Amino acid sequence: MIRLNSVGMSYPIEQSRVSVLKGVDLDIRAGESVAVIGPSGSGKTTLLLLLAGLDHPDAGTIEIESIRLDELSADELADLRRDRMGIVFQSFHLIPSLTALGNVTLPLEIAGDSDADAKARDMLRRVGLDHRESHYPMQLSGGEQQRVAIARALVHSPPLILADEPTGNLDKDTGSAVSNLLFDLHDNLGSTLVLVTHDESLAMRCDRQLRLDGGSLVEGRAHALSA
Amino acid sequence: MRFLLKLAWQDLRGSGQSLWVLCACLVLGVTLVAATGGLYQQIREGLQADSRKLSGGDLQVDARARLPSEAVDWMAARGQVSLLVEVDTMMGTASGDIQLVEVQSVDEHYPLYGELSLDPPLPLAEVTRKEDGRFGLAMDPVLADRMGIRIGDEVEIGALLLEVRALITEQPDRSLSANWLNSPVMISEEALVDTELLQPASRVHYEYRVRTDQDPDDWQSALFTSFPDSDWEVSTFLDRSDRIGERLAQAGSALLIVGFSTLFIGGLGVFNSVQAYLQGKLGTIATLRSVGLRDRALAIVYLLQILIMGGLSCFVGAVLGFLLSLVGAQFAATQVQGDSVLGSALLPSVLAAVFGLLTAMTFAAPAIGRALSVDPAVLFRSLDGVETVTPRAWWLATLSGAVLVMLIVLMVLPDPIFALSFVGTVLGLLVMLEGIVRLIRRLALTMDTQAPTRRCFALHLALANLHRHGSALRASLLTLGSALTLLVACTVLISALLDTIAGTIPEESPDLVMYDIAPGQREELVQNLVDRGAVRVDMAPLVQGRLVAINGASPDLDSSLDAQREARDEHKLTYRAGNIDGVTMVEGSWWPEDTSDGRAWVVMEDREANQIGLEVGDLLTFNIQDRELEAGLTGIFRQQGLQTRFWFEAILSDGVLDSYISRYVGASFMPEKSAIDAQTEIAGLAPNVVSVRTADIVATAKDLLGKAAAGLAVVSAVAFTVSLLVLTGVMASHRSRQVYYSTILHTLGARLSIIRLSLGMEYVLLALVTSIFALVLGVLIALPMLHFQLRLPLTFPVWPALVAAFGVSSVCLYAGADYLMRRLHLQPASLLRGQ
Repeated sequence: MIRLNSVGMSYPIEQSRVSVLKGVDLDIRAGESVAVIGPSGSGKTTLLLLLAGLDHPDAGTIEIESIRLDELSADELADLRRDRMGIVFQSFHLIPSLTALGNVTLPLEIAGDSDADAKARDMLRRVGLDHRESHYPMQLSGGEQQRVAIARALVHSPPLILADEPTGNLDKDTGSAVSNLLFDLHDNLGSTLVLVTHDESLAMRCDRQLRLDGGSLVEGRAHALSA
Repeated sequence: MRFLLKLAWQDLRGSGQSLWVLCACLVLGVTLVAATGGLYQQIREGLQADSRKLSGGDLQVDARARLPSEAVDWMAARGQVSLLVEVDTMMGTASGDIQLVEVQSVDEHYPLYGELSLDPPLPLAEVTRKEDGRFGLAMDPVLADRMGIRIGDEVEIGALLLEVRALITEQPDRSLSANWLNSPVMISEEALVDTELLQPASRVHYEYRVRTDQDPDDWQSALFTSFPDSDWEVSTFLDRSDRIGERLAQAGSALLIVGFSTLFIGGLGVFNSVQAYLQGKLGTIATLRSVGLRDRALAIVYLLQILIMGGLSCFVGAVLGFLLSLVGAQFAATQVQGDSVLGSALLPSVLAAVFGLLTAMTFAAPAIGRALSVDPAVLFRSLDGVETVTPRAWWLATLSGAVLVMLIVLMVLPDPIFALSFVGTVLGLLVMLEGIVRLIRRLALTMDTQAPTRRCFALHLALANLHRHGSALRASLLTLGSALTLLVACTVLISALLDTIAGTIPEESPDLVMYDIAPGQREELVQNLVDRGAVRVDMAPLVQGRLVAINGASPDLDSSLDAQREARDEHKLTYRAGNIDGVTMVEGSWWPEDTSDGRAWVVMEDREANQIGLEVGDLLTFNIQDRELEAGLTGIFRQQGLQTRFWFEAILSDGVLDSYISRYVGASFMPEKSAIDAQTEIAGLAPNVVSVRTADIVATAKDLLGKAAAGLAVVSAVAFTVSLLVLTGVMASHRSRQVYYSTILHTLGARLSIIRLSLGMEYVLLALVTSIFALVLGVLIALPMLHFQLRLPLTFPVWPALVAAFGVSSVCLYAGADYLMRRLHLQPASLLRGQ
């Protein structure tokens, strides 16, 4: 499903460049759930950006379902995200002027799905928010906003789910409920899940745990890795 | 308070540079208002002073006999009165040379305005008194030169022999641009009696000039009320302002309209600038509130910031405007009194600064209120896409500010009707735009729910951007629509005015105009002129008559003051005679070709006809030399161009005036050099004929109006550019949130090309709707202003209006869209990073 070959990435800081990723190699199978953990600034989000095709590596190649991302144009990358990915943000990033239903409908409408409203309603029901479909984001709690964001990410049944600290802005109970929802939907859809998190318990629920440190990726159990 | 000032200043130093749009809008807006206001004021005062001098007073009552003593007492009780007695007569020299002159006798109050200068510089009374049994006189130097008269020579007027003792070097109530009369000769009242010219049938004019502080129109109305049966002609100094003055005054008014429109557009820029500035401050505001700063204190901090930046900008704008108005006044070269310049230009500059600051605070208030409504809770969530609303109290503050601005505008503007119409127009405009916004939303929503549009995501997105909650439609349309409408209105006004200015100087003016040609002199004169190279010579009779009845009834004396006045005036009547005045018909037409039935027909000048209330088809009765003449009104004409001709008020069908004609006027088109020779020739051939060369007048008028037109074009171009910049900035700033939305959409998989297409569709829709709206409404606003404020013919300059409407909206929206598109080289990474 996902293959990274010697991926390197650096950012310019003043006059020099700081390497965030150094020769990262990674294989993730379809349907697998993978947690990426590491200290702040270790490159977790950068890795997610690269996987989403929202940034380009300085070195190496990334393949999603055997498609090399560096060979795709911006529009083709957008199509890839539209058809093959769902992204969940730590800060939800719902469109404030759209209702919960409007937000969830978006990916289907982008894809030109004629049955968008019905599918979005169904997804909202699955995340337990069918009674809030006409509410605007500011009228929802943090947990509800994240559930809408998850519904938006999964409404088009993407084979790949990228989640950046999905429970980072939520309290423990709400975070737990949201993570249950995410994993349930992942299981039901059979999607591949790549999860960036600081939450050890959340990482432990994934099939594999990867630790980013000093730009390198180390594989192992979360509790051992975070030690 | 000290802490708040310190906080405001520190915060401003850190991020105040982002308020540059506010500063630019205010500096430019205030500069234009101060410059145009100052220039307008100087032109107006200059013209009024000039008009008063030319008229000899604030009002003039003209009669054919001395007024009864009760009338003179009535006038003296309401101002200072000066009597000038005029009689046209022949003056002979010792060599036998004879010339028609205008003999004037004035009292000790003459002139009421300005100074009479003689050469040698002696008092008039001393010059004209009886010495050694002989009265003296002062005369026109040009006439003296032409007749070879020197100081000390004797001339004969009527039954009296007088000594020439002085030449008139400056006479304030005579100017070439005002009236072309016979050359003046000034004598004493006793001398005039002794000339025996004051006979019962002689054409003597008694002009009572009045200097008063009262409103001339009120004074006039009171006179008509007190002496309802009188037939005296009354005119005010305002009536006498010539066509050039009228154009300059119109240019001044148009400048003021452009200035205020620019300030309003600048106000919109202020609103958007403050909103954008405070949008970036939401985090700071939320933080300050979370650490315990009260709402009132927060409001003071940001109001202080706007006050500081706005105050500085307005000061700079006022100084620049003041300087520009001084330069402009010199450029326009109006007859402005030196000591009044500073006062004339300073007050508008101060007022412009006050207006600017008040406008800034008024437009900034809703943005500040909106920013202050941010909940500190957002600190714990995300500031992205935070929705803020303007609290009611801030709207009330805005409303109060707006009312204050309007009241001051109404109080200080010289023309309250103009001010009221401007304020009313802006308010009406905003209300109408709000209606349009709602209509578009409804339409977009309806279209968006239709299946075909749902299938095209770009169109769906474009429509959704128009109708959805929090859409930028209202802000865009209210801003762009109102500004664009004012721009279109200004463009129509300025274009029409520039056209009129261009048309004021006729492409072809006669080189020589002649008055008082006796019927027997016509043929000889024409032949002489042709021999001297004239390519065209027109002669037309000049008959004076009074309009005494319309459709058999007396003119309605209870109607407007203008109508009353016009009904009292003697009109200059003539024949068509090759259209000697170069008039154009604006209503009705010339009379039928076949006039064999003997009926008399007439066409009237538009200003006279409108003031009296004449309509095509009316039967008019004129009293000419105590006989009545009836003529059917077939058309209304407009005098065009500079007053280089005769300004006839009625043109009658051939033959009907024959029995009344005692003199003709003529116009000759010939090379300038030949005109000089011809003038000398005419003086010898027909001394009674007064001839005037028009070349100098036309050149002076061309120069003056050319400068006015250039000034108008420059100011309009600057205002246009300013508006364009402000609007482009406004369109871009309104759309900052759209970048955020688009980033999310792109991250979710929407192609950039689709997002761009949807934005393109939205902008095209907006441009189309706004342009059509602005075009229609702008023209509707401009036309009444053209008619009532500028008193210009109702013309619709199609291309300038179309270019202004579609061009500006397209450029602004394109620039706004381009800015957005460039921002759409998005950095979705920022979303994942939570930035």
